[in-house]
Order: sequence, then structure tokens, then C-alpha cells
Amino acid sequence: MIAILLLFPVAAAILLLIARSRIFNMVLMLGYSIMHLVLSISFCIYPASFTQYFKTDDLNRLFLIVLSVVFAGVSLNLLEFLRNSNEPARKQSLFIANVLIFVAAMTGVILSTHLALLWVFVEATTLSSSYLIYFSRSESALEATWKYLFICSIGISMAFVGIILLSMGLGGNNSLFFNDLYAQAKNINPFWLKLAFPFMLAGFGTKVGFAPVHAWLPDAHSEAPSPVSALLSGTLLNAALLAILRIDKLMYLAGMKWYAQNLLLVIGFISIFVSAVYIINIKNYKRMLAYSSIENMGIIAIALGIGGIGIFAAILHIIAHSLTKAAFFLTSGTILHRFHSKSIMGVKGLLKTDPAAGWLWLLCFAGIVGIPPFPIFLSEFLIVKGMIDSGMIIQMVIFLLLLTIIMAGIGRVVLRMSFGEQQPGTDGHREGILAYVPQFVFIALLLALGFSIPNAIYTLILKAAAVL
Amino acid sequence: MISFLIILFGVTMLYVSISTRLESYIKVLAIQGLILFLIILSDYSILHITSLIFLSFETLLVKAITIPTFLIYIIRKNGIFREVDPFVTNILSLIITSAIFAGGFYLAFWSQGAVNNIRPLYFGISISTIITGLFIIISRKKIITHVMGYMMLENGIFLLALSIAKEMPFIVALGVLLDIFIAVYLLGLFINKVQESYSDTHIDTLAKLKD
Repeated sequence: MIAILLLFPVAAAILLLIARSRIFNMVLMLGYSIMHLVLSISFCIYPASFTQYFKTDDLNRLFLIVLSVVFAGVSLNLLEFLRNSNEPARKQSLFIANVLIFVAAMTGVILSTHLALLWVFVEATTLSSSYLIYFSRSESALEATWKYLFICSIGISMAFVGIILLSMGLGGNNSLFFNDLYAQAKNINPFWLKLAFPFMLAGFGTKVGFAPVHAWLPDAHSEAPSPVSALLSGTLLNAALLAILRIDKLMYLAGMKWYAQNLLLVIGFISIFVSAVYIINIKNYKRMLAYSSIENMGIIAIALGIGGIGIFAAILHIIAHSLTKAAFFLTSGTILHRFHSKSIMGVKGLLKTDPAAGWLWLLCFAGIVGIPPFPIFLSEFLIVKGMIDSGMIIQMVIFLLLLTIIMAGIGRVVLRMSFGEQQPGTDGHREGILAYVPQFVFIALLLALGFSIPNAIYTLILKAAAVL
Repeated sequence: MISFLIILFGVTMLYVSISTRLESYIKVLAIQGLILFLIILSDYSILHITSLIFLSFETLLVKAITIPTFLIYIIRKNGIFREVDPFVTNILSLIITSAIFAGGFYLAFWSQGAVNNIRPLYFGISISTIITGLFIIISRKKIITHVMGYMMLENGIFLLALSIAKEMPFIVALGVLLDIFIAVYLLGLFINKVQESYSDTHIDTLAKLKD
């Protein structure tokens, strides 16, 4: 089963590049997204494995479902995107082929049971997504792609240094399978482990978008086509985060919990601080969403750093952030298409111009800043509770203060764009229904999750949290 | 012999930190490839025969010959000005690099208690090379020097990976993957494209996207 998820997109990509047909592009992409969704749900009931290198477990099946759901929504939106695109069929095929490989690479990151293999797949995600960011071929897209590729390749090298340092500490048993690492965590030389962890945290953290190694993220997210931004923010960051979760667990088992937790707390607070600083005075709404991603990754790092109830909160936050941010980015694509401007000043009267997009914009805002009943409220509430329980009062005050600043910053922008009179020259183009449906589905899922978490999902999250 | 080669490798990094010509960077890259090749040859007993052949091929042909030639070709073709254009002065650059090396050696000596069978010299020089590579990337203005700095960083990683080649041969193979993959990708796809849209391969021109 896993073999299908990993090999089908490769075969499909080759087929697409040969066939170069618009219909083919759409059919194969949609086919893969449905297949992905069905299989990843089935993995929850029937665990699967493919050779010893790929296996589902309690933690990664949740990540796989989030990837499937976001990809399903994005692929519907991509149909609309391709319909409106003037690019020749050859370029569209190359684009879709890269999307397929990109998703397959993220699936590989999520499912691999071997540290070095996971690293190879992280590298593959970088290569396959760089073309997606470059798709519009503008000068600024080129700049964003260059930064993305260069910064991420340095990050990947640092993660590799971390892996080498970890291998140095292994001593006798030279296996990098996570299970073997966990089993002999106590025997790993603490000196090398302590040295390896910051390298791996910075390396994989570059892909996650932790500040201060986040520089690629706002550029890449704002220059990529919006469905790609949704995919980057909703799924790529998670996949890299899973790598950090795996290493984090190794640190816990090796008895260096305090070390890993403190580093995560520091990096989390820096991330929130940096995004707060930039969001207050932001001029471009897609960049605003990108900074909001940095903020949310910071929140997740803090939640992991608290430990205990924070782990549950972190996993809930990962799910909620992915769906909300994917919906947010897809809606930003609709807005961009209608107003032809990424500047906040260029958009006014969204609710009157395009009521559906306007309402989505407001709902996504409510979702991302954590207004109840959206699940981000729940996860942030749990994080605050975890902070109080472990006596981190000063940190809690700073945390809430920064979140409030960010909320005010995003709120100012969203309200300014949504209300007001319709501007002339903005009602020419009508989007198809597929430009709205995925977001409404995401929002509905989030509301369902926020009002009452279904028992099945609750146990899934609990089991995943228990892994860590 | 190996110690001598490794020290020579470290000296090349010090040389890079004060040189002002792109040509000397390229020469250093070629020399580093050659040194890595010699290290592999003189340490042949730790490697399996297939990986020995593959790695000596990779270091000698790719690192020491192909990439430097390709770099020279790019510089000629794009008419990139030959000065390096650093943000910092030479003396400062030398001081910082020396400090990085001092730190690397300190770390290496500190690690001696924790070392199983890793030579501290290997570790110290390679970790300092990696950090110096990062320093060169952030302290030089031209895009092509970024790429070269990245290659030096890669060479440092290669050296680090060699130190555990006996226990984990596949780590070295992975290092090669990173090396060839990214170097070819960056060079082939981007330098030429960047050149098309910008009049000069200078990161000052890559500063439109910011807040």
C-alpha cells in the first residue's frame, strides 16, 4: 500500500512529461489525491509497512492524514488554478509532475523509519518544490527561489552534520533506524548527542521555518502560486517538524529532556517575537500569512518545550494550523486573482466584491488567531495551562502579549481588506466554485474539531502524544 | 601523512579568508578536492573497495577538476568581475577565521574524553571548515562566492563524514549525494538564470523581497 503512495506519483510524473495533456494533468493529480486520502485513512485502521524503511505508527499516521486532507483540498483548487492559467500545456505538466513528486517526497519524510532516509526525502522536497515556487518566472519569483534553495540547502547540510555527529556517538551499534536509536538511547555518548541536537534542530528547523533561520519562508510563500503556498505552509512545515519530533524523542529517552526543551522554548519564543515584529507593520497580505506560519511553528515549539499537556496541545495545534493556513492561503489566491495586488492597500471592500471570499477571509482570521470555537483556541489555552502548571509565569505573560500583538496586526489587515465599499474594476472575473469549496470544507472540519473532538480523532491524538 | 594533509586542508581555508580574487577561491577548491583524494588514498584500509573507487573518482574528477573548470567557464562567460567583494576587511576576516579554528580545536580537545575512535584533528579541522564556509557565505557579496563558500562547507562535511567511514560507510555515500546533487543543481540551473535577469551576480540585486 505504501509502495503505491510512493511509486505512483513517480510513474505519473514521467507519464505527464511524456503526454503533456491538460486533461491528463488533472486526472492524474486528482487520482493521486483521492488515493492518498483513502489510503491514509485506511492506515489508521490497518497499519501498513513497506520494507523495513517505511512504516506507519501512531505518530506519523496523523501527519499523513493532515497531508492527505490538505493535498485533496489543494488539488481541487489547483484544477481551478490550471483552468485560469495561460501557461502552455508543457509547463503545466511540468508543474503538476513536480507537485506529485513533492507530495510523494513529503509522504516519504513522514513514513520513513530511518534517520538518513528521512534526510534524503527532506532534500527531495526542497528540490521538487523549488520549481513550484519559480512557476510564475517573474524576477521576484526567481529571487525567492534562489533564497529558498540556498538557505534550505545550507539547512540540509547542517542537519547532515548533525546526523554525522550523532553517528559518532553511537559507539558499537551503527544503526540509524529510529527504533534502534530509541532502544539504545542510554548508550549514546551524551557529548556527541548534545552537539548533534542543535545542528539537527537548526537544520530541520530551517525547513520548519523557525526564526532566526526563517529567511526563505516569507519570500517563498509570497511568491509561489497560492495553492503551492498552501501546500508549503500546510504540509511541508509539518513534515520537517516530524523530523524534529523524532529527534526530540531520542533526546527524552537519552535523559536530556531539559536540554531539548530549553532549546525548543528559546527557538519558539524567538520565532513568535520575530513574527510579531514584522506583522505589526506588514504591507503584503501573503507575507503576513507567511509570518503567521512562523508564529504558529514557534507556538508548537513552545508547546513541545513545555512537555506534559503541551505535547497534546502541540499535535492539536499542528492539525488545526495546517487546515486553517491552507484555507487562508487558498483564499488569498482568490483575492489576488480578483484584485491583482498583493498589497494590503490595494484590496478594499472584499465582502461586497466577493462575499464568499470575504467571509472565508474573516473565518480564517478567526481560526488562525484562536477565537473560540476554533481548535487553535483550545491548543493555545492548553499551552497557557501547561505554562502555569510548570510555573512559567513570566514566559506566559510574554507569550500572551506577543500573541495579542500578532492578533492585532493580522486583525487590522483583515478587517481593512474585508470592509468598505467595492472598488471599481474588480468585478470582471468570476472564480469557479472549486476556488471556494475546499476552504469551506476545511473550516467546517475545524469547527467540528473545535466544538467537540470526535472520539476517534481524540484517541488518535492521544496515542500520537503518548509516542512522544 | 594524513595529519599533514588535514592540516594543509585547514591552511587552505585560512588562505581563502584573506584572498581577494575569485581565481584563488577556485584554486583552493581544486586543491581541497585533491587533498580529499589523497586522504582517501592514504586511508584506503578503512573503505570498501567499491566505495574507494567511487570516492576517489568523485574527489579527483568531480571536486578537483570538473567543478573548478566549470566555475572558470561561468566566470568567463558571465563576465563576473574578479574581485571577491567582501563585507569585511581582510584582516578582520582572517581574525574571525582564526578564531573559528581556535574554537574548533578547543571543541576537538574537549571531545577527547568522549571520543571512541575519532581523531580529534579530523574533527577539529572539519568542524572549523564547516563554520568558516558559513562565514564566507555571509561575509561575501557575490552570488558565485556564496556557491563557492557552500562548496567549501560541503568539503568540510565530506571530511567529517570520512572520519566515520569505517563504521558507517553509507554516510559518506550520502555526503556525496548532497555534494553532487546540490552543486550541479545550483550551478547548472541557477547561476546562468540569475545572470539572465540581473546585470551582475551580486546579492545586492537580490534584495527586493523584504519587509
